[in-house]
Amino acid sequence: MATVKTKRRLAKSGVITGLVIGALFAGLPVLWMLSTSLKANGDVFASPPRLITENFSFGAYREILGNGAQLRFFLNSYIVAIAVTVLTLLVGLLAGYAFSRFTFPLQKTINAVIVSVQAVPPITLVIPYFGLVVALGLYNTYPGLILTHMVFTLPYAIIMITAYLNTLPRELDESVKVDGGSSWTALWRILVPISVPGLIAVGVYTFMISWNEYLFALTLTRTDDMRTVPIGIQLLMGQHSYEWNQMMAMSILGSIPVLVLFLLFQRRFIGGLTAGAVKA
Amino acid sequence: MTLIAPETTAPAPEAIPGRPRSALARRLVPYGYLSPTVLLVVVLMVVPIVMVISYSFRDNVIVQENSVFAGLANYTKVLTDADFLAAMKNTAIFISVSTAAHLVLGLGFAMMLNTSLLGGVAKAVFRIVYILPWLFTIAVIAVIWRLLLDPSGVINYVLHTLGVIQQGVDWLGSPSTALWAVTFANIWSGYPFFMISLLAGLQGISGDLYEAAAVDGASWLQRFLHVTLPQLRPVIISMAVLDLIWTSQQFALIWMMTGGGPLNTTEMLSTYTYKQAFSEYEFATASAAAVIVLLITMVLAFFYVRSQRER
Amino acid sequence: MAVRATRLQRVIGAAMAATLVAVVAACGSDDSSDAGSGGAVTLEFAQWWGAELPAGDFDKIIADFTAQNPTIKVKLLSAPYASTKQQLVTGAASKTLPDVVGLDGAWVSDFAKQGAIADLSQLMTDAKYDQSQLASQVQIKGKTYMIPVVNFIYPLFVNKDLLAKAGVADVPKTRTEFLEAAKKISATGGNVKGWALPLDTAVPNGIQNDVMSWLWASGGSMLADGKPALTSAPVKSAVEYVKSLNDAGVIAPGSLTMKEQDKVEKFTNGQVGMVIDSLAHINLIKKNSPKLNFTVAALPAEDGFTGKRGLPYASWGIGVSNSTKHKAEAFKLVQYLMSQETNAKLSTIANGFPGNKNAKPDFSTSDPLFKTAFDIYQAGVPANEFVGLPKSEDLMRSFDEQLQLVLTGKSSVDDALGKAQESWSSVIE
Repeated sequence: MATVKTKRRLAKSGVITGLVIGALFAGLPVLWMLSTSLKANGDVFASPPRLITENFSFGAYREILGNGAQLRFFLNSYIVAIAVTVLTLLVGLLAGYAFSRFTFPLQKTINAVIVSVQAVPPITLVIPYFGLVVALGLYNTYPGLILTHMVFTLPYAIIMITAYLNTLPRELDESVKVDGGSSWTALWRILVPISVPGLIAVGVYTFMISWNEYLFALTLTRTDDMRTVPIGIQLLMGQHSYEWNQMMAMSILGSIPVLVLFLLFQRRFIGGLTAGAVKA
Repeated sequence: MTLIAPETTAPAPEAIPGRPRSALARRLVPYGYLSPTVLLVVVLMVVPIVMVISYSFRDNVIVQENSVFAGLANYTKVLTDADFLAAMKNTAIFISVSTAAHLVLGLGFAMMLNTSLLGGVAKAVFRIVYILPWLFTIAVIAVIWRLLLDPSGVINYVLHTLGVIQQGVDWLGSPSTALWAVTFANIWSGYPFFMISLLAGLQGISGDLYEAAAVDGASWLQRFLHVTLPQLRPVIISMAVLDLIWTSQQFALIWMMTGGGPLNTTEMLSTYTYKQAFSEYEFATASAAAVIVLLITMVLAFFYVRSQRER
Repeated sequence: MAVRATRLQRVIGAAMAATLVAVVAACGSDDSSDAGSGGAVTLEFAQWWGAELPAGDFDKIIADFTAQNPTIKVKLLSAPYASTKQQLVTGAASKTLPDVVGLDGAWVSDFAKQGAIADLSQLMTDAKYDQSQLASQVQIKGKTYMIPVVNFIYPLFVNKDLLAKAGVADVPKTRTEFLEAAKKISATGGNVKGWALPLDTAVPNGIQNDVMSWLWASGGSMLADGKPALTSAPVKSAVEYVKSLNDAGVIAPGSLTMKEQDKVEKFTNGQVGMVIDSLAHINLIKKNSPKLNFTVAALPAEDGFTGKRGLPYASWGIGVSNSTKHKAEAFKLVQYLMSQETNAKLSTIANGFPGNKNAKPDFSTSDPLFKTAFDIYQAGVPANEFVGLPKSEDLMRSFDEQLQLVLTGKSSVDDALGKAQESWSSVIE
């Protein structure tokens, strides 16, 4: 006869086991990345593979952090990713609001177009897109990259924000309208604060997409002072061999600040802000 | 209730609140909200896409100065190409398995991370570990998985030590395992997206619904099926559609891991298009392939839009 | 709720303002190769060479050029090697190619057809350049489009310790000896194999370096009168030989998706006994594995072959953009890099052989293996029939796909060669 307490304990150990297995699945490749960044290049392919080798050193990190060009890559990636995230959230919020709270002619068409636009294989778009960017004078500039990334992240942001807004009952904005407020006020005063967890999820992912984007970042930049981290990493993949430890070191270094950001914002996920606060 | 004027400088489509609005202005409001998006998408996306579509109907595009109209010749060439059809099949398998696994893993992890059975610190630690695959650029993910899956690499070493296999499996070089290896790497790199979105979605489900269900004597499974899933439905559908679309675009992971080989077993629509464009310099054919992919995806997109019911 | 909303709005407002300020202030870098004040010209030179050379060396060479030509500044652009060709094609399409471009011989035909690179013969005539000092020029229809600056030969690298352990006394010189040696090395066990064959289809250079090299080493050719001749006896014998190596189980696993970099890694780690590899790797191997005891040798030829052995090679080539406004200045840079002194210096630090006939690499400061390789170079003849062919990557890939069918037992050698011949004939008119 299982008591409530035993059942709880079973459930808890079940969850912990699941979490640990999942953590192994998620974490092992990253652990290997870390281990590779601390090896000498010659030991990377050693057989049998070892987690820590005798040539253990932080040399790769020193190389990256001491290299002005590499640091510039990090700076550029940050500027672009932050700008893209802020602007995408804003523009996406407005569009999601329109799709969620209004009905208007062509709504479905516009929605479908925005979604399908990301269906074209980027590799075929590269050349005409590149010509367009050059013609607009945006080649090798921050705005060029920022606007490009926004075009990639907007469809996703709009879809997700629309979905989140759709889960919020209309009674919420009705309450503002009843008091004579406009849709604008309803959006910013009522809906946005409630959808913060959703917005953060969208924001985090937008940041990631922009941060890790390679093809257009490479094509739309020409000089080292405009290039971003993914390009920096690929520059270490030479014609004849890879600088394994530096590549991994750069990846790890690039992920740390993003991790910190995530740590800061994750409280909002579990903050207990729930939708459906109408009854309050 | 006083009205607080917005402090942002984003375009305000309406007149100052409080002033009487004409019926026309009111009808234009949603378009106003949509205007920045539409502007950006039309200028930066629709224009190049139209150019790609026009390329698909021509020949001698880009690499030569004199392009000529070619009608449907490129489309015929693509649709009758055995490589293209193989690529379609592989892509279909790749995206459906990836998306399904992403969904299952993402939901499973999200629910475990949402549990009330553990303290905040423990959950925070696991949360960090679980989003790790997200933090890395795709080139690095491809390269690290190649390293791990090398015949004399870590995975074979561990499996061999555990006695699961006798000798090293050639994961990426063997036609029978390559597609699954690449799919596995893709699953690894993509599940955090689902997990985070679903976690946020789970936060949004009102506790009252669960309480009501518990009062009715519902078991854990029944609560999952009748409260959690329905509440998450819009989010799940949106993400599934997006993931299918995105995964079909996945290029760098496959290109850097197997290049579409061995024996075309990992050839996807994306690698096929790339080879047409930058190896055979047949941009017209590549454009035709791209348009075909676009048309297929628009089917998915319409399905998504139709599922957006009025609430 | 109202307080929170206002704070949120303020945060968003501030973020937006900051973003706009940052974006406007840091609004890109103006790159232009237009003439500045006083007639100074800035050339942009896109290459991947700097990354392959000791840190700072290439910058110094370029700085010397500017010292000699004060009105011409050179801006070095680099791109990840794997994306170089794709970026060049994209740049050529919008006429934004950098003034001077580093090229691989396999790309020349397609870029020339695209009108992306300039006719160097014309530039050489205009500058009254003495062409006799050039070891080779890559020409399409009689016009030069690329000049090889440094040539890297691909000799056979042999791990002497593994050879000794396997009981093989001498470095193999014929195909039979090679097969025997590879078998013995693979028999020593412990995951060690005799040979590595990278057949990755993304970058199918393995066909050029590791497969066709057997053909060229025995004086064979894959073309006849400029047309594909894949069903000829020499090609068939080379392919059958590779198949026999595969059947004997001496090739390292993972062949069908192995990249050139993986091959080098495995050799460096002592997992493979013999590989055909670029001379440029000597320094790399020594750096990563200082204790590795290895040497270089000519490629084994067919038993009884006594002619000059072909040696596969790849080059760092240079070309000039067709859309540049400074063709004369661009050619000055080309001249400089090809000049006897600079070319010799560049070749020495790159471990390659000079594109200038009169330049002699400095052997005194480099590895003794380099001198051995130079002797092999002198005794043999550079052979790479893919240089100057149209869509050469595509040719290599279609051959690769057929070869993979042969190695996995899904096709006979004759069928595979027949199909490859068909693919090639439709490309090479």
